[in-house]
Amino acid sequence: MKNVFALIKRLHVFLLFLALQVVALIMVFESMFYHRATMLNAASDAVGNVYKQRAWLSEYLRLGEINDQLSLQNSLLRTQLENNYINIDTVTHNVNDTLLLQRYRYHTAKVVNNSLNRESNYITLDKGWSSGITDQMGVISNGALVGFVVNVSEHFSVAMPILHRSFQTSVRMKRSMDLGQLQWLTGDPDIANVEDLPKHVLVAVGDTVVTSGFSKYFPPNLPVGYVTEVTDNADENEFHIKIRLAAEFRKLSHVELIENLMITEQQQLEQQAEERYGTDDH
Amino acid sequence: MVLMIINHILRIAFLILLQCLVVNKMLLLDGLILPFVYVFGILMLPFETPRWLLLILGFSIGLIMDYFTGMMGLHASACLFLTFMQPLVQKFLSPREGYDATQRPTVQSMGLGWYLAYAGILVFMHHGWLLFLEVFRLSSFFDTLVHVVLSSLATLIFLTIGQYLIYKPNSYEL
Repeated sequence: MKNVFALIKRLHVFLLFLALQVVALIMVFESMFYHRATMLNAASDAVGNVYKQRAWLSEYLRLGEINDQLSLQNSLLRTQLENNYINIDTVTHNVNDTLLLQRYRYHTAKVVNNSLNRESNYITLDKGWSSGITDQMGVISNGALVGFVVNVSEHFSVAMPILHRSFQTSVRMKRSMDLGQLQWLTGDPDIANVEDLPKHVLVAVGDTVVTSGFSKYFPPNLPVGYVTEVTDNADENEFHIKIRLAAEFRKLSHVELIENLMITEQQQLEQQAEERYGTDDH
Repeated sequence: MVLMIINHILRIAFLILLQCLVVNKMLLLDGLILPFVYVFGILMLPFETPRWLLLILGFSIGLIMDYFTGMMGLHASACLFLTFMQPLVQKFLSPREGYDATQRPTVQSMGLGWYLAYAGILVFMHHGWLLFLEVFRLSSFFDTLVHVVLSSLATLIFLTIGQYLIYKPNSYEL
């Protein structure tokens, strides 16, 4: 007996190694048979939380890439929206057996340069005609009106934003459906003006202003801004309205470009009408 | 003494997190090279650590790694083997008069040649045990051997760099 204890004492390291090794190997072969079985459950919450923190961190570091993907996704989805299609009357036409024909298509672009503090500001975008951008495309950001493309090179394009002295487009008061003229006279990159709105229209602070759809560049009902101030001069027939722009020009980073697939057709038709019957100017 | 123990615990905890959260996510040569840098913490344990304590430490560190990687027992088994062999390799490499109380298993204390031999042998044993146990098929013997050799070299490079990163002049509290 004494000898046995002496032997154990002499070999205690090897015996400990052997015992623990047997435990470890049993675990290995058990987990080979029962994949990630019961033993893991006890600790999986703690481990899972550590991994979750790591995923959060790595996701945070890739936010730029994720944003790119999201804006691409947005433009694809926006292309499918119903109000980009115009109705085809099935009684008289039967084109490809569909009720809807696409009118607007969306492209994404990143803002590479953006001025705010001048009287005539421009936005430079990172896509040009090699990516299918042409001038006269509308520019929106998060669905809100930004401007339209005025100049295109191979890889870049320049847009004229609302924040430009000569930018003008017709807008509609969303509540009353009345038309006004959007201009930028304030010099403040957050505030623009709506003019030519007759006084019989009901306007209140907080009303939403949307695009009218009369412009060749923008589909109807894109948000433009929200009324912040209504000036009523007694000796004039129209309101002077200030709106807070829906597009955040100070933070502009991803924009979408709207391609009007029927712009040529519309322009030709309008030109023909003008040639035949003359314009207002004559 | 207490400071030294805390130092070791913190180092091992950091290395386990580094292994699980960073190194395991890197795919070097499509995963052919998988260094196990956490053995650094085990190799740094002082010479005079009792052998039974070394075994228990190795087993525990291995189990923690197993919880993270999801294959129970694998790292525990390999680390147990590593900590069993560690004193034997130290004895094999010991200078004629043995290790004195101020010496630590570091490049700074024992020199680069000694450290490369010490870490190289043990890392190769650990990686070999681990990866062969994981595969457990002799049909892919040479593939696994290449895996073991490449991963061991990567680990060894990391450990040697690590030795120089923690270098503190005139410090024996490592």
